[in-house]
Amino acid sequence: MKANLLSKKIAFYVLIIIVWQGIDSAEIWPDNMFPSPVEVGEDLLYGLSDGSLFYGIATSMWRLIIGLSIAIGGGMLLGIYMARVETVNQTIGSLVLGLQSIPSVAWVPLAILWFGLSDSGIIFVTAIGAIFAVTINTYTGVKNIDPSFIEAARNMGAKGSKLVTTILIPAAFPYMITGFKQGWAFAWRGVIGAELLFSFLGLGFLLNVGRQLNDVSQVIAMMIVIMGIGILIDGFVFKKLEDKVMTKWGLR
Amino acid sequence: MGKIEAKNIIKYFQHDGKPLKALGGINLTVNDGEFVCIVGPSGCGKSTFLRILAGLEKPDDGEVLLDGKKLVNTGPDRIMVFQEGALFPWLTVQDNVEYGLKVAGIPKNERHDISKRYLDMMQLSQFENSYTYQLSTGMKQRVAIARALVMDPDVLLMDEPFAALDSQTRDLLLVEMQMIWQKTKKTIIFVTHNVPEAAVLGSRVAIFSHRPSVVKKSLDIDYKRPRVTEDENLAKFEKEILSALRHQGPK
Repeated sequence: MKANLLSKKIAFYVLIIIVWQGIDSAEIWPDNMFPSPVEVGEDLLYGLSDGSLFYGIATSMWRLIIGLSIAIGGGMLLGIYMARVETVNQTIGSLVLGLQSIPSVAWVPLAILWFGLSDSGIIFVTAIGAIFAVTINTYTGVKNIDPSFIEAARNMGAKGSKLVTTILIPAAFPYMITGFKQGWAFAWRGVIGAELLFSFLGLGFLLNVGRQLNDVSQVIAMMIVIMGIGILIDGFVFKKLEDKVMTKWGLR
Repeated sequence: MGKIEAKNIIKYFQHDGKPLKALGGINLTVNDGEFVCIVGPSGCGKSTFLRILAGLEKPDDGEVLLDGKKLVNTGPDRIMVFQEGALFPWLTVQDNVEYGLKVAGIPKNERHDISKRYLDMMQLSQFENSYTYQLSTGMKQRVAIARALVMDPDVLLMDEPFAALDSQTRDLLLVEMQMIWQKTKKTIIFVTHNVPEAAVLGSRVAIFSHRPSVVKKSLDIDYKRPRVTEDENLAKFEKEILSALRHQGPK
């Protein structure tokens, strides 16, 4: 079953590459607009061999991890406060919903003005793009906790930060994971978008270099790398974490 | 010690935006080591009364005293066993049972010793590493009772803990509950809508009236233990409880 699924996937991607090569061989568009898979592959290999690709990936990932960590920490804190203190929800809660609708790249001009062309600016954009997804899911998770869990814990003497760490966070965790997953997706978009506009190292920067050099195959190569990292993190980090939590919590 | 006194407890519900008097001045004293069952028509507020004793809800008037001291908040001196158990699904059986001890800052070794004693008592020793979703409803309630007992509370408050059980499991737990009471000498207040259950468990049964409810009748059940539901000598007590319940339909 599992091998069958894998072979289907491989066959699909092989088919895409064959079709792609076929279109390229038909010479409909010039090579500098529509590169062949071989050219893109060569660009990837070149990036690997001179190390620039690894450096780009490492830079982007490092910014992502810092930004996402800030978003997860801050989002959980804010979400828990919103769920537990009605006044916070009525005031900050409405603002959060509004801020959530701002695309993360729209924060770039502000980030440049505040932080200059620096890592901090890109991390700011990454974090702010992800924080509200974490906040909203944490809020929903805490709101959906069976009230008897909280009552039982208070009855047994838990209060304040102990109640938060031993009950609120674990009980809301299945929802929070959804927030982390959405947050990661927003953060990844945010970090690449910001790097494009900041033009300051990272995969987004390499993408922009491709455009400046009119190197279509480099552009496509970078897009494939960005997508590949997305698939890997989604499938290996978050899917695994989600499965583990869902099983342990008895939700599946 | 565990003498709990409820003095003139009054509580209003919100019903369609209007206040509805549920508890109309409950007076009930439960002495240390007594096993009191509370029965009453559905909607009379007996569970609410229990929650007020636990400090999980505030009465609109009246006060609750534990060994003469006025109670304001909830706390581990009165542990509640919830109808559905309220077990934490992210913890194993053992971690559930040790939860309150951990909150109290008791060191690990000591926690294990205490929890082991009660896991054995509730016949859960083989399930200490299971998660609650792997357990039957009856096992879950055993865990909930063990979790309450480890806290060594002055008073054990039980809110229809056997309502969702099949009759075989319930009969078993009814006998075990009496043995636990005899062994631990705890003060127990047990809310139920099941009259035979009240007659089997209670050394006294307090019968609540329809709302606004008051304690309509308090019936001592002076009979040897352990009792079983099919014992015909309990029938006369059950009849007395039932007739007290019947004489008081909605006004």
